[in-house]
Amino acid sequence: MMKTFKTMMKIELKLSLRGMDMLLFAICMPVVVLVILGMLYGDKPAFAGADYTFLEQSFGALATISICAGGVMGLPLVVSDYRDKRILKRFQVTPVSPLLILSIQVAIYTLYALVSLLLIYLCAVIFFDCHFQGSLPKFLAYYLLVTLSMFSIGIMVGGIAPNTKTAGVWASVLYFPMLVFSGATLPYEIMPTALQKAASLMPLTQGIKLLKNASLDLPAENVLIPFLCMSVVALVCIAVSLKFFKWE
Amino acid sequence: MKDMIKVEKLTKKYGSHTAVDEINLSVKRGTVFGLLGANGAGKTTTIECILGTKKADHGTVSIMGMDPHKQRKKIFQKVGVQFQEAAYQDKITVSELCEFTASLYKSTTDFMELLSEFGISDKLKSPVKELSGGQRQRLFIVLALIPKPEVVFLDELTTGLDARSRRDVWKILADLKEMGLTIFLTSHFMDEVEVLCDQICILKRGKIVFYGTVAEAIRQSPYEKFEDVYLWFTDEEGQNDENL
Repeated sequence: MMKTFKTMMKIELKLSLRGMDMLLFAICMPVVVLVILGMLYGDKPAFAGADYTFLEQSFGALATISICAGGVMGLPLVVSDYRDKRILKRFQVTPVSPLLILSIQVAIYTLYALVSLLLIYLCAVIFFDCHFQGSLPKFLAYYLLVTLSMFSIGIMVGGIAPNTKTAGVWASVLYFPMLVFSGATLPYEIMPTALQKAASLMPLTQGIKLLKNASLDLPAENVLIPFLCMSVVALVCIAVSLKFFKWE
Repeated sequence: MKDMIKVEKLTKKYGSHTAVDEINLSVKRGTVFGLLGANGAGKTTTIECILGTKKADHGTVSIMGMDPHKQRKKIFQKVGVQFQEAAYQDKITVSELCEFTASLYKSTTDFMELLSEFGISDKLKSPVKELSGGQRQRLFIVLALIPKPEVVFLDELTTGLDARSRRDVWKILADLKEMGLTIFLTSHFMDEVEVLCDQICILKRGKIVFYGTVAEAIRQSPYEKFEDVYLWFTDEEGQNDENL
């Protein structure tokens, strides 16, 4: 079992890297956005009198760029592709469950997210003198919840989309607005109020609020709604996937 | 001899259309069984119901005495399958796909040996997508043989192969059969069926119209060439006379 997991992980990771797109969208893009924000706002305080810088404030948001890329772009595409190519069906005539290959994909995208997190953390600390003021365990716990929630959206979309093409359309519809308007790239704090209100409807925006709360050590009472949002999204998507997932 | 595959009263309906109708068959250890019939006669549905990737409406199936739904993991340690449509990841190479497949099983054959036996060991680093149809077909037979199977299912065995490779594949399968491998195949090539199959079953619109050996089929028909015999069994009613 361990041998199976290791070999499959190694090969699937190679295939994923060969695809290049995740390297670009999950690993490079967060760093690029970090550098741009760093150059634009440098070490200015987030607002007059704030005890953290603008970039420190943005850290929680930047950390979600790769979760978003893997969850709502990478996963839906690979899941629907493996179904359309009948790879999932092929697994039904082996001693291994098709669930294993799905969990390998989840592991790969989690790995991308963690590598990206580490990379932007190092860049922020080394090049822009950022300090992580919040609680690390809390941040990591929220980070896992946001990952779970976004990935469950991806599995659901990939699992119920009738084919790869439709999955691609749905993924784009989810990915691009969330990337731009949830605050992941364009900072939430500089959006006009109307846009902020609209953005708050997106699950990733709630996820970012959660992460900012932990990274900036903000008052705990602000966490309840984002926390519930993330949990409900995860639960609903997992339930829908379990019920309607199409293996072929 | 022990029944490696046993199917009783297998029935599968799609809506009101009965794709497979009360089929009985059994395959003994170390024999080759050929499932024949025109496109749409129910061959693939039958195979899928036997393998458990489709659920039959009625009937029972056992492979090596086990139920393919309930004991899937145990059965497929020792059963190799080549589906009609090849399933593989985009951008994967031949060696990666072999390694990937081998990792799924407890005990496996050295796939390098199989690849060279099938004449594609020089393609190790090639993307599977870039292989010719015949090379890809041979690769998927290799994949079915990687788990050192006791039973293999080969759907459309040599479709896409040239005359030489067909002969090579026959030779390899005949050798494996000598070593006790049980083979369940479908094919559209009657020369191949004649050479390889100990038992055949001809399907027509989901029903068995002939079950027995090739020699018996020839005896029951007015023809001598097996291809004519096969066509005689599968032809729609009324056309038989015209051909006589």
